[in-house]
Amino acid sequence: MSSYSELIKNFERIRAYMREFYVYGFKSRDGYNQKSARSYDDERRRMESILGDHMSFVRTPEGKNIFISIDSRSSRHNPFYKAWKSKSFTDGDITLHFILFDILHSPEIALSIPEIMQIIDREYLSEFDSPLMFDESTLRKKLKEYCDEGIIISEKSGKRMLYRRAEDFDLSDYCDLLDFYSEAAPCGVIGSFLLDRTRPHKNAFGFKHHYITGAMDSEVLAALFTAMRQKRVITVTNHSRRSDEPRRNRIIPLRIFISTQNGKQHLIAYQPDFNNFRSLRIDYLSAVKLEEVTPRFDELRAMLDLKQSNMWGVVVNRGKRGKEPLERVTFTVKVEPNEDYIIKRLYREKRGGTVEKIDDSTYRFTADVYETSEIIPWIRTFICRIVQLDFSNRTDENKFRRDLEEMYRMYGIEVSGQ
Amino acid sequence: MIFSELYSAYYNTVAEIISRIIDGERDERKLQKIVSEHAFGESVTTILPALKSGKWQLLRPDMSTVLKHKPSVPLTNLQKRWLNAVSLDPRVKLFDVSFNGLDDVDPLFTPDDYYVYDKYCDGDDFSDEGYIERFRIILSAIRAGTPIKVNLTNRSGKEMYAKVMPLRLEYSEKDDKFRLITDGCKYLHTINLSKIRSVKYCGETFKHIPREERYDTVTLRIKDERNALERCMLHFAHFEKRAERVGKNEYLLHVKFDHKDESEIVIRTLSFGARVKAEAPDSFVELIKKKLLAQKLLNLR
Repeated sequence: MSSYSELIKNFERIRAYMREFYVYGFKSRDGYNQKSARSYDDERRRMESILGDHMSFVRTPEGKNIFISIDSRSSRHNPFYKAWKSKSFTDGDITLHFILFDILHSPEIALSIPEIMQIIDREYLSEFDSPLMFDESTLRKKLKEYCDEGIIISEKSGKRMLYRRAEDFDLSDYCDLLDFYSEAAPCGVIGSFLLDRTRPHKNAFGFKHHYITGAMDSEVLAALFTAMRQKRVITVTNHSRRSDEPRRNRIIPLRIFISTQNGKQHLIAYQPDFNNFRSLRIDYLSAVKLEEVTPRFDELRAMLDLKQSNMWGVVVNRGKRGKEPLERVTFTVKVEPNEDYIIKRLYREKRGGTVEKIDDSTYRFTADVYETSEIIPWIRTFICRIVQLDFSNRTDENKFRRDLEEMYRMYGIEVSGQ
Repeated sequence: MIFSELYSAYYNTVAEIISRIIDGERDERKLQKIVSEHAFGESVTTILPALKSGKWQLLRPDMSTVLKHKPSVPLTNLQKRWLNAVSLDPRVKLFDVSFNGLDDVDPLFTPDDYYVYDKYCDGDDFSDEGYIERFRIILSAIRAGTPIKVNLTNRSGKEMYAKVMPLRLEYSEKDDKFRLITDGCKYLHTINLSKIRSVKYCGETFKHIPREERYDTVTLRIKDERNALERCMLHFAHFEKRAERVGKNEYLLHVKFDHKDESEIVIRTLSFGARVKAEAPDSFVELIKKKLLAQKLLNLR
């Protein structure tokens, strides 16, 4: 007998499947060999239940490929948020939850555990033929959990501990703000939880260039933010593609780096055991554990502030073989008279680099960066107008030139006389 | 903790069902509709049956509830911390809200805790009072479904007026700009908010003008070297897309995009270099070739 439920206990499993289905989506059932076939079927069924119309499939010689296809521009709210609302619970959990807040329906009501127990049994569960039984320790545990969440307040009255609900917060004026920030702010899923508490309303916002994959990493991200706010060391599991086995790292998280152009989120952290800064992909991280407070947090963050002007992306150090502290990247573009938008592009996209006008039709970009290869994709966007290249890292410059030659060959570009 | 039953679709659905029952609703079909709207695809087989059977002891057999009040739960610390964090964002001035009542919690994050490193630096000025005022007028017009009259500077720098129906405000994280998407004006479907000089409500009737939507699908062949597959898949993740494996290390990616964004997709494809080759449609491939030919003619030094 199948014990399938559309609710889930552990988000990590569905997190991995969702990324596979959304980012890649070309694997058939047999391609998911790290889990059992039953597990694959269950996760696929859950995702169909949660994501509905966003799930698609194609038949290939290898089998049926399931994938998630979403144009985030036409979707007003991130569909992945629904997965965060699928946590499983027990019959006792849900019954106790609703009864507890019914008893403590106003912040003025403050009751002790024995009083709450008595009301639950007499006024609520006595109506059922086979009433659920809640003992004192279950209730105490639930109240403690809710105190930690901030929805119940405990206070001493003489020798008795009394419990009351926290003050309510009126969200009726927040609909627009929540519609916007639930998509635009980090950990936007929390905004989605808040939206669930508002009345139906017209959503006035849409989003372009909107990456929604980060939603799946919200728990990790929230834990990293909490660690940074509290200036703590953390231990975290890193499933980097560079190593076969996940590794446990002890690091000081310093800042989250977010890309609007590829949707990746990185943590820049300091690794005390190796005395270096490093960046870690957040979608590779799990099981964040907050450790001791570190007195070095402010000093390390100030060091990162200094480094930031030379970071094109997320590389925070020169490679081990690099002799110079930084690499210089220079390229020059030719701009036609009606191409002011190219000049605008250079200025608005230059990050820490500088743009220099050589003459009316030539502009030079220069940047000192930790790693030249990070800037190369951007330089390629100026193909058709690059007249000169000069990288201090000659290996990367040669790679760029060879790659360009390969593109000419690939597209059959030939110029007579050349 | 974010993954908690406190935020679950099931708890929200049960709260809504009980509220309706307290309001007098007993029609099971209507209650089941709440389940379909608030929970997941298969929840219709679980939520009401669990309530009716007494598995979750909140409803009597006659579908009345043992609860005496409509369910409600205060905000969790996590929710308050997130709201507090949002209150520190520069764009928050666009919204006419106060954040009283959040003093008892620290923000989940501050602007110093994260850095959006590749957004363009010529984004809208969200602190400009005039911009804020225009934003709010447009926002309320969208919600009320009221046409507006806008005075703006067009691409050639000339001043112009238009009567439009505001449909939505579209924000681009990369551009850090809002654009107003409109109806009712044939030549003005998208307006950069920063180009609008003034706006006022307009009582006149408005005529819907169907927009000619044109979508293209580009097919990209990806050679999975230097992690190109993952980079490409992530890069184009926000589009409707489909991928297929066509060889040991080769994949085809079909990306559907708005035709108006064609130039942008061309340069985004070029950014991957020789690892990604555009294969279709021919018109798209020709645009790439044209750029490469122009580049070759420059004799890169």
